[in-house]
Amino acid sequence: MKLELKNISKNFHGVKALQNVDFQLQENSIHALLGENGAGKSTLVKILCGVYQPDSGIINLNNKQQSIPDPSASLSLGISAIHQESVMFDELSVTENVFIGNHITKSNGLVDWGLMQDKTNQLLKDLEANIEPNEKIKDLSIAQRHIVQISRSLIHDADIVIMDEPTASLSQKEINELYTIIRNLKKQNKSIIFISHKLDEVIEVCDEFTVLRDGELIKSDSIQNTNKDQLITYMAGREVNQIFPKNNVTIENEIFEVRNLFKKTQFKDINFNLRKKEILGFYGLVGSGRTEIMKSIFGITKLDEGEILFKDQKILIKKPSDAIDQGIVYLSEERQQLGMTGLMSVKDNINMAVMDRNSNFYVMNTLKEIKNSSAMQEKLNIKVSYWSQLTQSLSGGNQQKTVIAKWLSTKPEVLILDEPTKGIDVRSKSAVHEFMGELVEEGMSIMMISSELPEILGMCDRVVVMYKGLIKDILNVKEASSEQIVKLASGES
Amino acid sequence: MKKILLNRDFILFSIILIILIAVGFANPLFVTPKSISDVLTDTSILIILALSQMIVILIRAIDLSVASNLALSGMLISLLSTVHPELPVYYFIALSCVIGTILGVLNGISIAILKVPFIVTTLGTLSIYRGLIYFVSDGKQVYSNEFSEDFLALIHVKFLSLSFLFWLAVVVFIVIYVLLNHTRFGRNLYSLGGNPDAAKYIGINENKYIIMAYSLSGFFAGLCGYLWVARYSVASTQIAIGFELTVISACVVGGISVMGGVGTVLGCVLGALLIGLIRNALPAVDISQFWQLAISGAIILLAIIINTKTEQRKEKTIMVKN
Repeated sequence: MKLELKNISKNFHGVKALQNVDFQLQENSIHALLGENGAGKSTLVKILCGVYQPDSGIINLNNKQQSIPDPSASLSLGISAIHQESVMFDELSVTENVFIGNHITKSNGLVDWGLMQDKTNQLLKDLEANIEPNEKIKDLSIAQRHIVQISRSLIHDADIVIMDEPTASLSQKEINELYTIIRNLKKQNKSIIFISHKLDEVIEVCDEFTVLRDGELIKSDSIQNTNKDQLITYMAGREVNQIFPKNNVTIENEIFEVRNLFKKTQFKDINFNLRKKEILGFYGLVGSGRTEIMKSIFGITKLDEGEILFKDQKILIKKPSDAIDQGIVYLSEERQQLGMTGLMSVKDNINMAVMDRNSNFYVMNTLKEIKNSSAMQEKLNIKVSYWSQLTQSLSGGNQQKTVIAKWLSTKPEVLILDEPTKGIDVRSKSAVHEFMGELVEEGMSIMMISSELPEILGMCDRVVVMYKGLIKDILNVKEASSEQIVKLASGES
Repeated sequence: MKKILLNRDFILFSIILIILIAVGFANPLFVTPKSISDVLTDTSILIILALSQMIVILIRAIDLSVASNLALSGMLISLLSTVHPELPVYYFIALSCVIGTILGVLNGISIAILKVPFIVTTLGTLSIYRGLIYFVSDGKQVYSNEFSEDFLALIHVKFLSLSFLFWLAVVVFIVIYVLLNHTRFGRNLYSLGGNPDAAKYIGINENKYIIMAYSLSGFFAGLCGYLWVARYSVASTQIAIGFELTVISACVVGGISVMGGVGTVLGCVLGALLIGLIRNALPAVDISQFWQLAISGAIILLAIIINTKTEQRKEKTIMVKN
């Protein structure tokens, strides 16, 4: 046994990210770690990398109990991860990125560029990769960056290489090249943890698999004993165990439509419509282009082509305030960065988007502001200790509600929610869901991006499934199965 | 070929050449070897300070206190030389560097250990160090006749008809070039500035590097303290006042990104040379003194605009052509 995790649990502010998870990695094997977004895969990987500490549980490496207090400890134990998010140095050369923090020095203390260059060259040749050691990372494709990261773990002499969705943004040719590299690593007696949403590739490449769901271990077995359909059932097949208070409202006529939206390198042929009082979901893997479409509709980025119709009228949105004036608002996924100003009070945040409506000749009317914010605080049940409390000191759920209150103050007709419940606790989550239901009843129409399938299934009337910048299908949620949606979103049908 | 033409350093070098040629047409006397060697001598201190400032800017920080540090170190050794004129000049140079380094370490400790933001720390020490000069000198000047001959002689030594200052700048250039490109320390500065989070993942101790960078900046400020005082044969409360801004401009013009992790040692030197050239060339072509400040500012801005325009950002790609 190379690596064994026993009874690992991890909580974040009361949310159980991992519950008593066991995981076993055999020597010389490629092990698939599977699960939906939010199933706990990333948490597990971060524990192995020393980024998070488990609340309880044991880590055995080569049959010896180990603790991994920080990232450098993880490296020195021979664990190396190829992350989705960038841990590369864009402005530095390939050679330097391979040797970063580990520069070879000559006897006089100076860095031995020649030797490092040669070693990198040899390494890249062994990996059959066509990369120049002198190139800067920022000039490389994503596939090439992965290869540089793999070279880095080889230099660190890692026995365990973790790959977090390495093929997510690669072309078929690049993927095949990566497979060859992974198989070569296995020949060199490395063990690999392979995270992917593409089940065909998992079955092709991996030896074993482990499926997590909601932070719990569902199944761990040899790949030979399973098939794709079974894996999908393990991952998605569950009853909707949260209460989604989507009230039955009568959906009315079409209110919003987009035709042939196109933006170079990001999305194309985007056609969908939204009816009054409807909740339209957008499901897809992270990075499938959902957020990019919404940002274009809201005027944050420019469309290359396409038209937007609102109440059967063609409208032109050049900047966010155009959209707000029309009654379309967008709640960003990055609420900390884009949705609110943490150092301002809740009241000021709520009134931020409606300053012109609350002022007389450019002078703020504080009374109007207070009226609006207290009405919103009451409506959304935002808990503040005192009236001038800073938004950053609120809980995640209350922050999210503050952002929602800010946009509701503009009295929108179309609300675009981008991952509205990401990273907030279960209770706040259901409060947000309940509130969405109320808004629809009041006559609002909602588009919701979500990476959580149960949320889509529980809240939406229809779901737009996206894959790599294209709409794969628009399904009626009542008639769609979760397996079907997962398949579409991984580009498998 | 295209790569060379778009190279920042090459563009900067071309701009310097163009200005030199243009000024040469307007005033042929400006491009004589004598005059050019004067410009180089005049720019040497700026080059040394820009190179040491670069180390700090590489890790996403700035040292605003360099000019005050220079002036304080310079004043302290000047006062000592009036009391002990018999000491050899090397003693004063070493002492000036030590004082500068101590002042730099204090900056580093405040930023790394006490976690006072670098802009606040160095803005504070800018005033404190300048204020201390009044305290130690009672607001009086040290005049040229009060220095020993030995103290002032070194600066006038010439080698191959180029000044001591120029050759010292060349040595500092080589030292910093090797430091930043051929030592682990230098390479780790680049990674720390380029991606601080990722640098922590590979076990780089951020605090240590902050303190080291600021002490180096202080060391060279101290060195320039001696150079400045000896060159102008005067130490006063007012020397090098506001010079930190010229130093930072030289770095920025030289393509050292204030976002950290980007910039070449050669670019930094070229940036300092461009600024030194403009400051010397404008009087040579009879441009009124009143215009000089505004024009040199405009040229700096122009250089930066050209510089940034050559950097094209790539858009992120979602759709993949199969």
